[in-house]
Amino acid sequence: MRKYMLAALCCIMSLFILTGCKSSVPENTVFSVDDLSGKKIGVQLGTTGDTLVSDYEEDGSGTVVERYNKGNDAILALKQGKIDAVVIDVQPAQSFVKTNSELMILNEEFVTEDYAMCISKNKPELKASINEALNVIKANGTLDKIIDNYIGENAGKTPYISPDGVKRNGTLVMATNAYFKPYEYYDNGKIVGIDADMAQAVADYLGMNLKIEDMEFDSIITAVQSGKADFGAAGMTVTAERLKNIDFSDTYTTSKQVVIVRDNDAIKNSGNVVEKFKNDFLTDNRYQFVLTGLKNTVLIAFCAALMGIVIGFVVAVIRSTHDKTGTLKIGNFICNLYLTIIRGTPTMVQLLIIYYVIFGSVSINKILVAILAFGINSGAYVAEIFRSGIMSIDNGQFEAASSLGLSYKKTFIYVILPQAFKNVLPALANEFIVLLKETSISGYIGLTDLTRGGDIIRSITYDAMLPLLVVALVYLVMVVILSALVKKLERRLRSNER
Amino acid sequence: MSDNNSNDNIILKVEGLKKVFGDHVVLENINTTVKKGEVIAIIGPSGCGKSTFLRSLNLLEKPTEGHIYFHGTDITDKNVNINKLREKIGMVFQHFNLFPNMTVKKNIMLAPVQLKLMSEEEANKKALELLERVGLSDKADTYPNMLSGGQKQRVAIARAMAMNPDVMLFDEPTSALDPEMVGEVLGIIKELAESGMTMLIVTHEMGFAKEVANRCMFFADTKIMEENTPKELFENPQTPRLQDFLSKVL
Repeated sequence: MRKYMLAALCCIMSLFILTGCKSSVPENTVFSVDDLSGKKIGVQLGTTGDTLVSDYEEDGSGTVVERYNKGNDAILALKQGKIDAVVIDVQPAQSFVKTNSELMILNEEFVTEDYAMCISKNKPELKASINEALNVIKANGTLDKIIDNYIGENAGKTPYISPDGVKRNGTLVMATNAYFKPYEYYDNGKIVGIDADMAQAVADYLGMNLKIEDMEFDSIITAVQSGKADFGAAGMTVTAERLKNIDFSDTYTTSKQVVIVRDNDAIKNSGNVVEKFKNDFLTDNRYQFVLTGLKNTVLIAFCAALMGIVIGFVVAVIRSTHDKTGTLKIGNFICNLYLTIIRGTPTMVQLLIIYYVIFGSVSINKILVAILAFGINSGAYVAEIFRSGIMSIDNGQFEAASSLGLSYKKTFIYVILPQAFKNVLPALANEFIVLLKETSISGYIGLTDLTRGGDIIRSITYDAMLPLLVVALVYLVMVVILSALVKKLERRLRSNER
Repeated sequence: MSDNNSNDNIILKVEGLKKVFGDHVVLENINTTVKKGEVIAIIGPSGCGKSTFLRSLNLLEKPTEGHIYFHGTDITDKNVNINKLREKIGMVFQHFNLFPNMTVKKNIMLAPVQLKLMSEEEANKKALELLERVGLSDKADTYPNMLSGGQKQRVAIARAMAMNPDVMLFDEPTSALDPEMVGEVLGIIKELAESGMTMLIVTHEMGFAKEVANRCMFFADTKIMEENTPKELFENPQTPRLQDFLSKVL
């Protein structure tokens, strides 16, 4: 086992070195909006930029549009030379360029647009209240101050502070995608930005608490529709397409779509691995993202595994009892239905269905949702593992026990299960390893698991290599420890018989 | 009919037993009675249904038609508690079927203790007694896969005996054994027979059948073709089927 661990470490180390030595990115070839045709263009999935650039895709010149979940990922791809340009809103573009000296914004702007908050069509009263609040903070200059605090020469000088003595009653939940500086982004683990402050000002005016939920940009409208969030504020432009599904508040600011490209003059090697490591993990205690993620991943995987064992055990006993004795027809039917559905659909879709559909309008802890989703999913696989273990026991064991007058239940408990459990242990361990790694999709419901923790760091530092490799290493170590424990248990069970 | 059933001397009574697997008829219209103290050897060509017959007697095979009475109770009746009846019908299998997850002693103690027929202590005592009887006192705490085939079968006999059964069913108890181990198992069975245990033995050991049994059944073509004392059956076969069979096996 140690040998394999060493080999795996070597692989990761060589990856480090390989990335360090890789050749420089290609030169910029986009100098105006007209040059975009025929190039690889990056956008954030579901944004106005996405809609606008999609027209290029059909112009026959071979334009490719790469759609990223986050603006940060598009910027990263641009830096690495995977794409030629990124079309994005002007303010985030400015902050991206500020932190990435090798990028620049083309002078020519792409298009102008209005930002507004999206609100469910079923909540006209909420829309009216928000519009009233918006009018007030526009009229008294609060909104201008908030915007000036993030954009322009006086940035940072006029932070928004909630007035004292506000009586708060109830909570407004805001859906956003916190990778859109300066509208919303993580700062010291907290979501801040123009939208966040504006929403706070609105909540203060309405006398409510504000809770900000971070999720993928294209999930925001779904979240607002299903009632997971009361409104969405994420630099969202009002479009005809969106109006079909959702209502919008009054406009609170206008923005432009611009094109970011690589600056040929400024491209240079950026920092060594040690610098990068410091920046990725030590600055602002960013390692906390990994730690929080690790804690959640372990919690989810552990509880889901327990739940999976319980479900799997019950299902396996019902199914094999049916197979052996022909009883429990209804139970067997239900179990088969469960197995077919769970094994026939992707885990990620199940997770999203449980979060957005089943618990759509209920406020529920995301970790609990993840435990439920992964537990129910794992149960199906564990059930089949247990069942194969039970069916692998020679029928003579049942017959011998029956001939002694032992009931089916007693036969199961004292004769069949102890043997079956030992037989299935390796397969069971494998299922738990798969489960542990599968929890990495928890990020899709906006839960900070280990993978998502690394993602957040990547979105802040624009370094893909170290966060991903560290996350991979942590998973690897967990799996190695788990395998070692199982091996020990297996040996102990076997020594009983020798 | 019911007079016969209530007779204390009759342990098993089989009436019109029929067994069908799919559309293959294995047994048809089997009628017989087993009295207390009888040792019955069942012989016949392979596939003649002799094992199926034996396994029907404790309902490991469900008869398609017919009735089987154990001490006058119809065990084919749906409302009968078959587990309770099986406690008194011991069975020994061709492949031993010991529980590999328990020691030899625990194999013997499991049923008496779990069925609350004996306390842990009593069962322990009984197990050691039986192990001594089958000559395996030193193996009490070993696991079955450390034993030879002959030893396993002797443990299996002890396990069945632990329930103090009224009748013992042996399903080809020596067929899976190496030749040099057949003797030790047959010795135990013979000793058991001499102690007055009622038993039915499906076997291919003709010499043993002749020596131990006081009745012999020859199964062929879905029925009991011939039934007689071993001496008569082996020395004076009536049907060509039996004559043919004996000429091949003797």
